[in-house]
Amino acid sequence: MATHVYVPSDAEYEEVRGQRLLGFLFFLISDCVIFGDFIFSYLYLRNASPVWPPPGIERPYLYLAAVNSIVLFGSGATMHYAMEGMRHARLRQFVWFTVATIVLGSMFLGGQAYEYTHLHDTWSGSTFGASFFTLTGLHGFHVFIGVIFLITVLIQTLRGTYTQQRHFGLTAATLYWHFVDVIWVALFFLFYIY
Amino acid sequence: MELNLLLKIIALVGAVVVGVVALVALRAEWKKTALEDHVTKIMMVLLALGCAEVILVAFGVWGRT
Repeated sequence: MATHVYVPSDAEYEEVRGQRLLGFLFFLISDCVIFGDFIFSYLYLRNASPVWPPPGIERPYLYLAAVNSIVLFGSGATMHYAMEGMRHARLRQFVWFTVATIVLGSMFLGGQAYEYTHLHDTWSGSTFGASFFTLTGLHGFHVFIGVIFLITVLIQTLRGTYTQQRHFGLTAATLYWHFVDVIWVALFFLFYIY
Repeated sequence: MELNLLLKIIALVGAVVVGVVALVALRAEWKKTALEDHVTKIMMVLLALGCAEVILVAFGVWGRT
């Protein structure tokens, strides 16, 4: 028995794409709210404490975090150029920049794992530790999901799922990755600078 | 070379490169008008801001070690 795959027309695709994009942006906004909740909890704890970090607690190592931040920000730039490659039908550019993004994202996770194992504080050790591990852990989980997301869209692209005209999955992956990047801008400031 | 200095140099060079790339990308996106292009512009501005943060840290203006 022959199977028929329905292929929407360009007009139908554009209409559905707009709705999907809006839905995805609402998802990112809801994720912002989740991070916002934790960030305001952290700020509340910080301002309620006379000394911050609490006595006996060291701040995480600033310069390692600065290098790790640049690794993540760099991945945002490579993801942007991967997407530009797809927009201009340059598959090779897309593949290499996406691979670079995946590698940089994984390096960031490695840096974070190193930091966790060398920090003289624990999740239950202090309010600072609880906030730090909760927020950076939540962010690290997002990066991990982002890496999985990128590997998935890379495989889909190599299998021919996306084209120059129809690539909503890639747009979503790019926006998600940029979102993960800019959340780190706030977290880096809060935990390492402020 | 001292580890702190090495990390500062890596962070500074990386931040300048990524910051410039983000601003160039922002300039290229500037005239595009689709919804995702506007979101990308915001993201690029914030990315450049993140690089500025790291540059200030590398110069010792911001952050306590």
